[in-house]
Amino acid sequence: MIDPIEQFTIQKIFTIGHIGNQEIAFTNSSAYMFGTVALISLLMIGGVAGKQLVPGRIQSMAELSYEFVANMIRSNVGREGMKFFPFVFSIFMLLAVSNLIGIIPYTFTIASHIIVTAALALLVFLTVLIYGFYKNGLKFFKLFVPSGIPIVILPLVVAIEVISFLSRPVSHSVRLFANMLAGHITLKVFASFVTMLGAFGLVGWFGAILPLALVIALTALELLVAFLQAYVFAILTCIYINDAIHPGH
Amino acid sequence: MARGLRLSSELIAGVLVGAVIGWGFDRLLSTSPFGLIVFFLLGFVAGVVNVVRSAGVAPDRTGR
Repeated sequence: MIDPIEQFTIQKIFTIGHIGNQEIAFTNSSAYMFGTVALISLLMIGGVAGKQLVPGRIQSMAELSYEFVANMIRSNVGREGMKFFPFVFSIFMLLAVSNLIGIIPYTFTIASHIIVTAALALLVFLTVLIYGFYKNGLKFFKLFVPSGIPIVILPLVVAIEVISFLSRPVSHSVRLFANMLAGHITLKVFASFVTMLGAFGLVGWFGAILPLALVIALTALELLVAFLQAYVFAILTCIYINDAIHPGH
Repeated sequence: MARGLRLSSELIAGVLVGAVIGWGFDRLLSTSPFGLIVFFLLGFVAGVVNVVRSAGVAPDRTGR
């Protein structure tokens, strides 16, 4: 039986240094992060190098990804949200490209570790919190006080709203992590059925057609999920930033 | 599966955060176990609010 969890192991490539007794290592996860950033940079720099009026393939990909994120921010936050464009664009491209790399067999998916998605979600959460207080001052607390609530049940509603706000980074990170983890484990389990049935000889190979077809279908589904989860993460970032800019709507 | 995971993560996040707040409240003020009980229930309510909001049944706070 092939171990379906083995694909998520972190391997040390070399050691950078030590902080206290904790070793700081350059791992396969870091290598894939660098690779993802290099690929995005190549796409964006290569896309704007030509600057033709009729865009070529690379240029139209770069322009499409720009337009996609820019429209997402304009429709969810509004025009003043465009100052967060570099932030949202970086998060979206990092997740989309790294998830798509992760579909390729024998690669590593960086979003399948909760520490990565939690760091990104906390980055969004702290950005919203700090920018919200910087922009609105104490009026930011209006986010927790919905209008038109009777004074008697107001404390209860405020407590629920505060917990609901604090639970955002948890659900924000768990959603992406769980989707990537579950998808990749499912793929691995069904793929291992093919080799296990193959061990039974000719009859087994005929039986293995079924899980093989399923693996192909699941790979197509995972391709969709990889892009969709990056999109969901980015659009939730937009919605949270919208709360920071316009609290108490 | 994506939708199911989304909604369940919303509910679990609410309950988890409520429980953690209640536990910390008890730790600091040594009111065990009342803080945990109260905040666990509040967290459950917040989780349900999250689910209802993200399922689009109730209007969002921003009215979208």
